[in-house]
Amino acid sequence: MAAILLQTVDWLFVIDNMGLLLGGTVVTIALTVASILLGFVVGFPAGAIEVYGSDRARRVVEQVGVVLRGTPLLVIIMILYFGLSISSSAFVTATIALGLRSAAYQSQIFRGALQSVDDGQLEAARAVAMSRFEAIRHVVVPQALRRSVPGFQNEFTIVLKDTSIAIVIGIGELLTTGQNLYEGGQSTAALEIFLAVSLVYFVLTFATNRSLDRLSDYYAVPEGTT
Amino acid sequence: MTQPLLSIDDLHKSYGSEEVLEGVGLEMDQGDVTVLIGPSGSGKSTLLRCVNRLTEINSGRIALDGQDVTGADTDVNELRKQVGMVFQDFNLFAHLTALENVTLGPKKVLGMDAADAEAAGRNHLEQVGLLEQADSYPAELSGGQKQRVGIARALAMDPELVLFDEPTSALDPELVGEVVEVMRDLADEGITMLVVSHEMDFARSAASDIVFLDDGEIVEHGPPEQLFQNPTADRTEQFLSRLHAHEETA
Repeated sequence: MAAILLQTVDWLFVIDNMGLLLGGTVVTIALTVASILLGFVVGFPAGAIEVYGSDRARRVVEQVGVVLRGTPLLVIIMILYFGLSISSSAFVTATIALGLRSAAYQSQIFRGALQSVDDGQLEAARAVAMSRFEAIRHVVVPQALRRSVPGFQNEFTIVLKDTSIAIVIGIGELLTTGQNLYEGGQSTAALEIFLAVSLVYFVLTFATNRSLDRLSDYYAVPEGTT
Repeated sequence: MTQPLLSIDDLHKSYGSEEVLEGVGLEMDQGDVTVLIGPSGSGKSTLLRCVNRLTEINSGRIALDGQDVTGADTDVNELRKQVGMVFQDFNLFAHLTALENVTLGPKKVLGMDAADAEAAGRNHLEQVGLLEQADSYPAELSGGQKQRVGIARALAMDPELVLFDEPTSALDPELVGEVVEVMRDLADEGITMLVVSHEMDFARSAASDIVFLDDGEIVEHGPPEQLFQNPTADRTEQFLSRLHAHEETA
């Protein structure tokens, strides 16, 4: 079956249009980076508030997180773009949707990592006269960030792949580019086009995970009792 | 008459309905080495932690250099610059090397520049015999080495008083000696130390005062030879004989 469907002529069509697919890939990467950054900038403080914040602040953050995590990304994008029209730019809207959803998940990664650092670390930092904030910043956070790398790798992969949902508001990202090639170009090449698109997603996730592994090794400290 | 460095008066502390300290009083002069002994649950560690306010008291007064440090308006961080602490479980900063553990406080809290802090830090590591381990991470050190770094970390803040919370209890028996030796050196150098410990060796040879705490109150206190040879209270005598029996079987 596959042998019949995988036609040389269709692969040639894909190769001919590789430039377009790479253009879409650039948009996908930009969308991923922007969303992950927004997710970090919002998610990290949110996770810290869930651990160290006042009862009231914690409740607010937790409830917003529950709503964001409980709503399909597709629905978030549609509400923001068609419902609230928060921006005329589809790219900006998709970044905000992906970024906020990612913040809701990243906050949980950081919350867990912060909670995993032994209380004795904070206490020892307080005992050398650091303020609570200094102690968290200089002693707890550096350890928590190291421990959050595996969770962060997952989240990065998920966001990268979920940028494809932005197809519904017409951003020229990777999947949209593939879809356009198939609809407006060569309809027999569907399988080849989407296989090529999948390969690009795979290469991106694989390369990113490897890079984060390297980063993690570089900053690794020997584990054990302190 | 000079005022004591540390003076604790009628200290009360409860956890819920459980009263842990029932009116404890204590005085220490500069250079004193006071060792707190007593059965587990007697309130020794709580008393220690009240001094640098890791634990808040319910009532009473703690004064350092004549200054009340228990008030709501006391800057706890100013207090803790004067009072170092060594923990039972070491609590070394896991992501920092031995040297960085020692220099973090001076750099971030005392505002020392990096080069000065490092030079001073190396001196403190040398003082505890660990200069060669300056670049090792806590997980690469033995328990005894960790605790010596913990001591160097406390000394690096140049405190007026150092609290030791059962500094050898988490150590394998063969590693106790190296920590006790360092502590004895500090005592000889005139560092004021308030120590919760059952290391009788250290108590006999380095303490200026032994305080026996039981059920949240000070039963008796005195110089080691007097308290160990001629305890006045039955409770002290019973505790000491149990301790001796334990030491002999160990």
